[in-house]
Amino acid sequence: MSLLEVRQVLKRFDGLIAVDGASFEVYENTIKALIGPNGAGKSTLFNVLTAFDSPDEGRIVFDGIDITGFKPQRIVRLGIARTFQNTQLFEEMTALENVMTGAHAVTKSGMLRGAFRLPSAVAEERDIVEEAGRLLRLLGIEQWTDVYASDMPHGLRRLLEIARALATRPRLLCLDEPAAGLNTVETATLAEALYRIRDKGVTIIVVEHDMGLVMEISDEIVVLDRGQKIAEGPPRLIQKDPVVIAAYLGEDDSDDM
Amino acid sequence: MMRKGGVDLRILVLLALVMVSLCVVPLLTSDRYQLKVLTLVGINVITVTGMALLFGFAGQVSLGHAAFVGIGAYTSAYVVSTLGWPWLIGPVAAVVVAALGGFLLALPSLRLRGHYLAMATLGFGEIMRVVFVEASAVTGGPDGFSGIPYPSLAGLEIDSPAGNYWLVWGVAVVSMVLSANLVRSRSGRAMRALHGSESGAMACGIDVTAVKVRVFVLSAALAGLAGALHAHVIGFISPASFSLHVSVLIVAMAVAGGTRSLVGPALAATLLTLIPYADAVIPGLSRPLLDAIQAYQEDAYGLAISAVMLFAPAGLAGLLRRAVAVRGWRLA
Repeated sequence: MSLLEVRQVLKRFDGLIAVDGASFEVYENTIKALIGPNGAGKSTLFNVLTAFDSPDEGRIVFDGIDITGFKPQRIVRLGIARTFQNTQLFEEMTALENVMTGAHAVTKSGMLRGAFRLPSAVAEERDIVEEAGRLLRLLGIEQWTDVYASDMPHGLRRLLEIARALATRPRLLCLDEPAAGLNTVETATLAEALYRIRDKGVTIIVVEHDMGLVMEISDEIVVLDRGQKIAEGPPRLIQKDPVVIAAYLGEDDSDDM
Repeated sequence: MMRKGGVDLRILVLLALVMVSLCVVPLLTSDRYQLKVLTLVGINVITVTGMALLFGFAGQVSLGHAAFVGIGAYTSAYVVSTLGWPWLIGPVAAVVVAALGGFLLALPSLRLRGHYLAMATLGFGEIMRVVFVEASAVTGGPDGFSGIPYPSLAGLEIDSPAGNYWLVWGVAVVSMVLSANLVRSRSGRAMRALHGSESGAMACGIDVTAVKVRVFVLSAALAGLAGALHAHVIGFISPASFSLHVSVLIVAMAVAGGTRSLVGPALAATLLTLIPYADAVIPGLSRPLLDAIQAYQEDAYGLAISAVMLFAPAGLAGLLRRAVAVRGWRLA
């Protein structure tokens, strides 16, 4: 069954069409990659999917619910989490606190309960800490628990952001260039982590430039070029698709493929 | 002993010592002036605690906070003095009205950011100052509101300086403890998340606007509470007590105190409040020197704040954290 359906999404910026009627589906428990040459509209589409931007035309349907035009906080509650191309961590919080903040949408103690430390709030807080610790271990960064996000190395910050996204208990995890700036070892660690996350029942959409990683982890790939979907299918077919190869050769940065 | 993610036991002992010394001050001195000055310090600690939540934790600016102190002061004075209602209703009404004012200001202004938010709050402060002057039927106009009764609880008037001191510091300590709990709670993390990254906060499912409004309201409520105490402890208020100058001073206390801290701003509030009343804490201070300090009060503030920012860019909280870190303590 498809968890996410993107129907004829169109997005304009000052008359320029960034995404031009793209449609695709994401099936439960799979990893779907969104690739394309620079300026293909991947990031725009990604922001539309995660409600950080709204489409001019088209619909986004998540688990049977039309979520077009919803606010990000509502999307998160429905079970869609995201990370950012430029990590948006809370630098002055520890790794643990960052992940704990991710639990915001799935917990409920308000200001009064927090200020008076009522038993319900204290109990909830204990659960949040426990869950955050578990997620740090899942991503293999538990030794950074009490370190400020600003003091963590770049590669681990990306993993921390994924841990924070997982704390929202998503059914769909959207990753915006998670391997950007990672070395080969870190990328391998990331791939391992993504498998583990998928095996826990989380569906993943990933926008990524690292073709090695994309070909290795994805079950299916959508290729965008100039805002339009030019191909869709499993990695080995996409690799051989002449339309895709032409699109990548057409740009200067062709060593991506 | 250290609890994970908790506060070092030694810090708690230190805090307990501070509390005990706060409590015994009135037993050591019976000087009315000294106690009144230290009571004023307590009142400003309450205000700055609200500003620390707003500025230091949530990263929002208000250059009109004196207006909320004023709203609280006039509301409580009016309710108790003019309407003759029991004392406790005064501060409660002050908190409610100040919070409402904060809500009404927050709704439109928090869509603004940085300088624009600062300008909106500055404008609000000026509007309220004019209101305090013009609405003379309620506020007493430019001449001020005098003869405001002392606080009284359960029919017992607290007219001694020591009683007022204990009352104000009791409220100040409770405000700080509740705020400290808050910043370490789920709602507190949401506030701190705004400061860190609004996009990141949104990705955590945090309703950024709602959290901004809430922390603004809370901060206005604390300012209103401080204003009410001010009115009853001093017995007289006038528009001059709630001018732009006071708003700037409140922000200065929070900045000099440092972000992500409640203790730092409380210390800064203490230091800056004491400047014009230096003779209350420095016994041998010569009269001409005190006159000079009072004449150049603003310059003294500026100098003190510059000194803090120069030698401790992270504010007094930064200094504290460093001092504590050297000893391997952890001030969470």
